[in-house]
Amino acid sequence: MTDPTAPVPLLAMREISKRFLGVVALEKVSLRLAAGEVLALMGENGAGKSTLMKVLSGVHTPDAGQIEIDGRAREITGVPDAKRLGIALIHQELLLAPNLDIAANLFLGSELPQGGAARGGWLRPVPRARLNELAAALLERVGLRLPPSTPVSQLTAGQMQLCEIAKALGQNARILVMDEPTSSLTAGESEQLFRIIRQLKREGIGIIYISHRLDEVLELADRISVLRDGRYIGDLLRAEASHDEIVRMMVGRQLSGQYFPVRTAAPASAAPAELALEVRDLWVEGAPAGVSFQICRGEILGFAGLVGSGRTELMQAIFGATPALAGTLRLAGQAFRPESPRAAIDRGVYLAPEDRKRHGLVLPMSIAQNVTLPDIGRQTRLGWLDKKKEQRVAAREMARLNVKAKSQLQRTATLSGGNQQKVVLGKWLAMSPRVLILDEPTRGIDVGAKAEIYRHMAALADQGVSIIMVSSDMEEVMGMSDRVIVMHERRIQGVLLRSELDQQRLVRLMTGQSITRENGAAA
Amino acid sequence: MRRELGIGVALIALCFVLWLSNSDFLGHSNAINTLRQISMLGIFAIGMGFVIISGGIDLSIGSVIGLTGVLVAKVSSANAPGLGYPLWLGILVGLGAALAIGLMQGLLITRLRLQPFIVTLGGMLLWRGVSQTIVEGGTLSLGGSPLLRLANGGIFAVSGEPILPYPLLIFLTVIAVATYVLHFTVFGRYLYAMGGNREAAEYSGIAVRRVETASYVISSGLGGVAGVCYAAYIGQMSQQVGIAYEMYAVAAAVLGGCSLRGGEGTILGIVIGSAMMRVIDNGINMFQLRYLDPDGIQRIWRLNPNWTFVIIGAVILLAVVLDQVAHLLSAQRRLRRSASAAAESAPPRGAESADAS
Repeated sequence: MTDPTAPVPLLAMREISKRFLGVVALEKVSLRLAAGEVLALMGENGAGKSTLMKVLSGVHTPDAGQIEIDGRAREITGVPDAKRLGIALIHQELLLAPNLDIAANLFLGSELPQGGAARGGWLRPVPRARLNELAAALLERVGLRLPPSTPVSQLTAGQMQLCEIAKALGQNARILVMDEPTSSLTAGESEQLFRIIRQLKREGIGIIYISHRLDEVLELADRISVLRDGRYIGDLLRAEASHDEIVRMMVGRQLSGQYFPVRTAAPASAAPAELALEVRDLWVEGAPAGVSFQICRGEILGFAGLVGSGRTELMQAIFGATPALAGTLRLAGQAFRPESPRAAIDRGVYLAPEDRKRHGLVLPMSIAQNVTLPDIGRQTRLGWLDKKKEQRVAAREMARLNVKAKSQLQRTATLSGGNQQKVVLGKWLAMSPRVLILDEPTRGIDVGAKAEIYRHMAALADQGVSIIMVSSDMEEVMGMSDRVIVMHERRIQGVLLRSELDQQRLVRLMTGQSITRENGAAA
Repeated sequence: MRRELGIGVALIALCFVLWLSNSDFLGHSNAINTLRQISMLGIFAIGMGFVIISGGIDLSIGSVIGLTGVLVAKVSSANAPGLGYPLWLGILVGLGAALAIGLMQGLLITRLRLQPFIVTLGGMLLWRGVSQTIVEGGTLSLGGSPLLRLANGGIFAVSGEPILPYPLLIFLTVIAVATYVLHFTVFGRYLYAMGGNREAAEYSGIAVRRVETASYVISSGLGGVAGVCYAAYIGQMSQQVGIAYEMYAVAAAVLGGCSLRGGEGTILGIVIGSAMMRVIDNGINMFQLRYLDPDGIQRIWRLNPNWTFVIIGAVILLAVVLDQVAHLLSAQRRLRRSASAAAESAPPRGAESADAS
């Protein structure tokens, strides 16, 4: 094993600070990476991992701090700088041109030998034969057995990931940053990726590996660096690391229900609980099988799972945004066929989507216009839009949800994440929901607004609204749910009642393992 | 290549039908004239293709064609409002203006991050207006100018009509150079990469702004070349020349397989698309059916030329609809195959359910 305290590390980032509009993203964060080392970078969403890596790869320039490579201070002011220094960042959303073939993508931007791609080189022919040969060699190195002339649009997510690695190798990368590389891979593809990573390690390449999957990290990493709230918290060697220790460092406190509201009723146990929504064999495109579950009136049903486990797609099918291939749904005992979002909305099934800026709000429009958008027909008089009424409705919801804005006429683009999410909720609360689906309801939202949203969720459930909450935030899942369904690779891996909820069981199910209950029955 | 093949077969079939209905279609005079028309459209449609493949659009081409022709006439015409300078100077001024316009629009789009649609729409109106101020509402005649030989002359003359008119020779040269640049050079690769995934191109270290600017310069420059040809062909320039030509260019490119999303299309496709546009145009005049009326007298039925735009519009819509249907069908087939493959390989635990218990 390489010694992380060796005098001249491959990469040293010293006291990097970065602010965005006055908000601290990174505060004096330091990081070291040795050649042939796999360093896992861990932290919750918003801890600063991505920002730190964007600084390293030249996307952001740091406000303060220094980057050394092989012990020499280096200035990185743009992506080409980082590339020249042998730093390659593999983005979570892969950056390949789908209309070109593998070879063209591998050498995009470096078609000609060193120096040839200078200004005049643009009109020189692409040396296809040579590039195909080089590409074949690179593909061999990453274990991808495909002809270099295969169009990228035909590749699976795993194959694209390997292409990105091959592209980085083609640029002689010595420092490889991977951002959640397995988030869209199947188990088999992940295994292949790990084999490649171990091989690159032997070739002396330093790898920074960002992942939320603890098992993966404990299997791969030599060392783990933890960030929290833009600060460096500490390092763990793999030998001394454990699940609990990593989670403690990431979260910084024992998981507790301090800001989760106390529920007045426990609907899941209420005797013959009224079924609100029954889902039977709902088959979503790309899933291996249909999914079945039920939710009672006034229940908060958590959906846990890793990114890419199929939760969002399932919710989009229930909301009718992407109709399912097969399956039956019953809403309060009556048939429910969501062929479109309109069909779902008309029956009182609402979705507050994961990507609220794209699917939740029309950003250039005002709060009032957004709140009344799904129900615009009711804000009219003789076919004319009644702006007074529209603004009254919006003002009522803003007051209820405590939206902080100048007025209901403020553009939603200018609101903070927390207030934007409240507007999305207000849009649906103005129309008395029956089933409310919240996909990552508090992602990117500060703690104060989080607590408020939790309080509203609890109040709505107490009023009999059924809430489906998709969340990747472990603390939130455990704090808010009456019952939790854990998904893995687009199927239901297990169900946990509130009394059975603990982090270990959740993580086991999320990573595709099964759990044993006290009575010996497997979930 | 599916689109190129489809439209190519359609073009050959159309030519065959037209020739059957009226053998004059392939007659010397009509064939040469149609080739000339195809060439002049094809030259600037290829320019438009560069922009569309990189993910943009250039609505100013028609006005650039007009302005180039007007400048050539104004500078070199020996007749009244013309300035009477030598022809080469007129062509130089016209082409120079076209290139400068392309550069200016390209810089506005890339440096100020303005939308190509808006910038070139503004250009379309502005350059049309500039032409108007130059001709002052009238016409500039090129009578007696040696330029007229450019359109009517050519090589291998047979009974007064050349087999290879100069516009066709220019077109062939443009095809050869454009094919090399787009399909074989590093620059061409960058255009496709930008159209396919601009972010990927940028993160690969490609100077996307410079590539994009170049695409607008090429488009405008080829518009200028076409403008010189049109000036020679028409023989006199008014403010009307080139109106709506940008739409012909977009239509030719799309018929030939370019996608307005960018990243798709070939020079071959654009050439076939241009030919299709002009053959339809010409075919509406040439198509005829001989029939015997109730009195047994032979009569000829012809298409009403007022239907020209209806037919061209319908053909364009039909082409994209057929293409999209084929696309959707093949996607559906792929989906069904993968679904049945998944169902077979899935372990028998599909019966699991997660009801509250």
